[in-house]
Amino acid sequence: MTAIVLAAAVGALFALGTFLLLRRDLIRVVWGLAIISQAANVYLLAMGGIAPATADSVPVLAGHGDHVPETADPLVQALVLTAIVIGFGMTAFALVLSYRVYEEHDTLDVTELGDRK
Amino acid sequence: MSPDLAVVVAAVALPFVAAALTPLVFRLFGETTGFVGTVVSLASFGLLATQYGTEGSVSLEWISSLNIALQFYVDGWALLFAMLATGIGALVFTYSPAYMHGQAGLPRYYAALLAFMGSIVGVALAADLVAVFLFWELTSLCSFVLIGYYTADDSSQYAARMAMFITVGGGLFLLVGLLLLSIVAGDVLGPGAAFDLATMLENPETMSNALRERGLFLPVLGLLAIGAGTKSAQVPVHFWLPNAMAAPTPVSAFLHSATMVKVGVYFIGRVRPMLVGEEWLFLFATLGLTTMTVCAIMAVAATDIKELLAYSTASHLGLMVAGFGFTSVYGAETGVFHLLNHALFKAALFLVAGIIAHEAGTREIRELGGLRHDLPVTAAITGVVALSMAGIPPFNGFYSKELLFEAAVEASHHHEIGLLGWLYPAVAVFGSIFTVLYSLKFLSLFFGERPEALGHVHRPNVSLLVPPAVLALLAAAVSVDPQRAVDLIVQSGLEATAVDPHAMHVGLPTSYSTPVGMSAVTIGAGVLAYPAYGRIHDGIRAGLAAVPPIRANWWYDRIVEGLTDEGRLFAEWVHNGHLRTYATWTLAATCALALTGFVAAGAIVPATIGLEVTIPIALVLLVAVVGAVAVARADSHIAGILTLSILGFMIAIFYILASAPDLALTQLVVETLVLVIFLLVVEEIPERYEIEVGRVARDAVLSVAVGVTVFVTILVTTDARPDGPTEIARAYAERAVPGGGGTNIVNVTLVDFRGFDTLGELAVIALASISILTLIVMRGRGDASPAGDDGSPADSSGDGPTAADASTDGGPSGGEDA
Repeated sequence: MTAIVLAAAVGALFALGTFLLLRRDLIRVVWGLAIISQAANVYLLAMGGIAPATADSVPVLAGHGDHVPETADPLVQALVLTAIVIGFGMTAFALVLSYRVYEEHDTLDVTELGDRK
Repeated sequence: MSPDLAVVVAAVALPFVAAALTPLVFRLFGETTGFVGTVVSLASFGLLATQYGTEGSVSLEWISSLNIALQFYVDGWALLFAMLATGIGALVFTYSPAYMHGQAGLPRYYAALLAFMGSIVGVALAADLVAVFLFWELTSLCSFVLIGYYTADDSSQYAARMAMFITVGGGLFLLVGLLLLSIVAGDVLGPGAAFDLATMLENPETMSNALRERGLFLPVLGLLAIGAGTKSAQVPVHFWLPNAMAAPTPVSAFLHSATMVKVGVYFIGRVRPMLVGEEWLFLFATLGLTTMTVCAIMAVAATDIKELLAYSTASHLGLMVAGFGFTSVYGAETGVFHLLNHALFKAALFLVAGIIAHEAGTREIRELGGLRHDLPVTAAITGVVALSMAGIPPFNGFYSKELLFEAAVEASHHHEIGLLGWLYPAVAVFGSIFTVLYSLKFLSLFFGERPEALGHVHRPNVSLLVPPAVLALLAAAVSVDPQRAVDLIVQSGLEATAVDPHAMHVGLPTSYSTPVGMSAVTIGAGVLAYPAYGRIHDGIRAGLAAVPPIRANWWYDRIVEGLTDEGRLFAEWVHNGHLRTYATWTLAATCALALTGFVAAGAIVPATIGLEVTIPIALVLLVAVVGAVAVARADSHIAGILTLSILGFMIAIFYILASAPDLALTQLVVETLVLVIFLLVVEEIPERYEIEVGRVARDAVLSVAVGVTVFVTILVTTDARPDGPTEIARAYAERAVPGGGGTNIVNVTLVDFRGFDTLGELAVIALASISILTLIVMRGRGDASPAGDDGSPADSSGDGPTAADASTDGGPSGGEDA
């Protein structure tokens, strides 16, 4: 088992997300966005190297001692954590926006919305 | 003697500072702001004058890491050009208040004029290639603003766009040429000299040989020639200059005859010692003589005095380019001396044309005549400068024209050019005959019968008369004692542009030589043909009207119109308001670029793949993908939302397995909140949204393409990752306890090491919450306003607060988790 598994999984998630992004139902477009951002987070984490979970690899130090074990890359994790929270903000906003669009125009069909000038 | 940095910088900066202060100055002085401009120009001129006789470069640190310094190089050629610009600038500023009386937008006019003067001094003195390019483009920009000065006039806007398009477009060619030069210079002269034009010019042989070795000589020559040719209105892009006459006349006198259009010529002279050779001769002598002849013929066909002067300017620019094109020392003499002479007589002629237009109210040649009775002083000025333009001895234009003939004859002595050795002098004479013709025509405006239709002609204001008179007096002074002008001004310019400079001598010929004979033929033929001027004029016009494609302007219009139409069609196709179109184009383009990039860089190699994944991780990822498939196949919103949650929770488990407990916690909280919000929203919209499926196949192809691109990208990038933890990760791990006082490295990083990033993230969340709140609260109020269209059900406003509560709960709590 190698990175091919990870690459295939993230690639598949991107493909499915793209497919949803191209739907005419606005809610499905939002799903697509959510899937793509999740997949991107996984990719970012993988770039830091995936360390199988052990007591030493988790980037939480055992104590205030001098010994600093070689942990999984904490920087990438901090980055992804930020990305998760921002992705959440984006999804929530996109959802409420879709809801509002439906209230306003009585449709969720992006093609129909795009045709309105 | 070396120049003084402070003085040089002050001379360049002064006009820019003045330009910035113009709105303020205009408030104080109103229309007399022009005279403030005169003072600024004279101050700059004075500063430059103190550097007379110095040579060398001075520099001001700018981007030291890239070896880019604001470097200035002062020598005779640079000073000649810079002082010409500030000197004529002073006269044009003096002329402007009376000419521009009562016009709107004068602060803009004066600010652009001042900024232009600063840029031109900058171009003349800059020794750094980046600075040269910046100042070069700044002059184009100022020219754009000034040509388009009459903003309500369509033809003025058309001309401004055309000038911008041509000169800035040419500037981009120049940029590429300069970059090639800098790459070569960085190689052979050391990295410190990569952008240093002064050092390159000190080692012309080394540069020239290095360029030839790398096969870059012709590309660099061609690119610089395109840059200079567009700026100096050479055939076939000469047509922007006559159109630029839409600008106010003082602008035409300043930018489009005396200075800006000469930047190209100036630069050709600058790099001449470095690039001169046989190719140089073929390129510039041919280009210059063609321009000179074609534009002289077009000038004879002109019906408007400014149009006549504009074509004449292009023609004389051709003469200067041709002069520099000839590799002998006479060539450089022609270029430098004619640059000075032309500035003196042509700026004066434009100012005279301005007086005629201002006082007689028309610029049509056939409506004008016999003006010597109304404008006696102007007539005297014109007498000097028009004869000088014609190249009639003993006026100053004659001397530089004579030098051109000499250089043309000499060309065959220096190079094996066969038939061209005869053709160059012949074309030079042929073009010059037309120069004599149109010069006499311009002069004839003041003589002969006064047309009946011409109304009362006012006496010009004295501030309109002084500037052309000063120029005419200077032209007369050069005419009377050309040797003094040569010794004082031209000689030092010659030394900078010629390969083998020697002491230059000019004077009236005392014995017969070939160039003297050529001058005699030119003037004789011109004077003899003058009575037939009307027929020649009509003949050329008829020819132009019969075959429109002969005019370069016709091609410009066709190309621009074609591009505009194509652009509109393309925009309708790509930018049609449909989300899926945008997504398709963006994603497809990104995939194509990424894959092409990998292939071009040879990154796709069957390398060892070092990133291992355990079986539990593989299983979790598999379930996530299955969840995503279920989302894509979901036939109702509820099903989709629930399966989307499966995906989210699987990713949380993936984080746990990948030693990232903090991420897992965050993901779990976020996933729960998203699920709640989705469910709240989905309550308000139809459960099932039946929309015809449409182009599934096409979407599937694009999706697979994206997936494959991502797959390849991950393989390539994870493979290229260095082994072991990065230096920064190590540092964060080691400093977490002593530096941040926490054992959880990720937490310490977020709140301590990268605290500002987290603040930014919280700001994003806060913004999203406020937007969500606004969207929902505004809905309730929006019902009363006309925005509530097509009868959306009023009962929905009652549900608004529910969703509002949910999202305001959701927003901040999401933020706290970070």
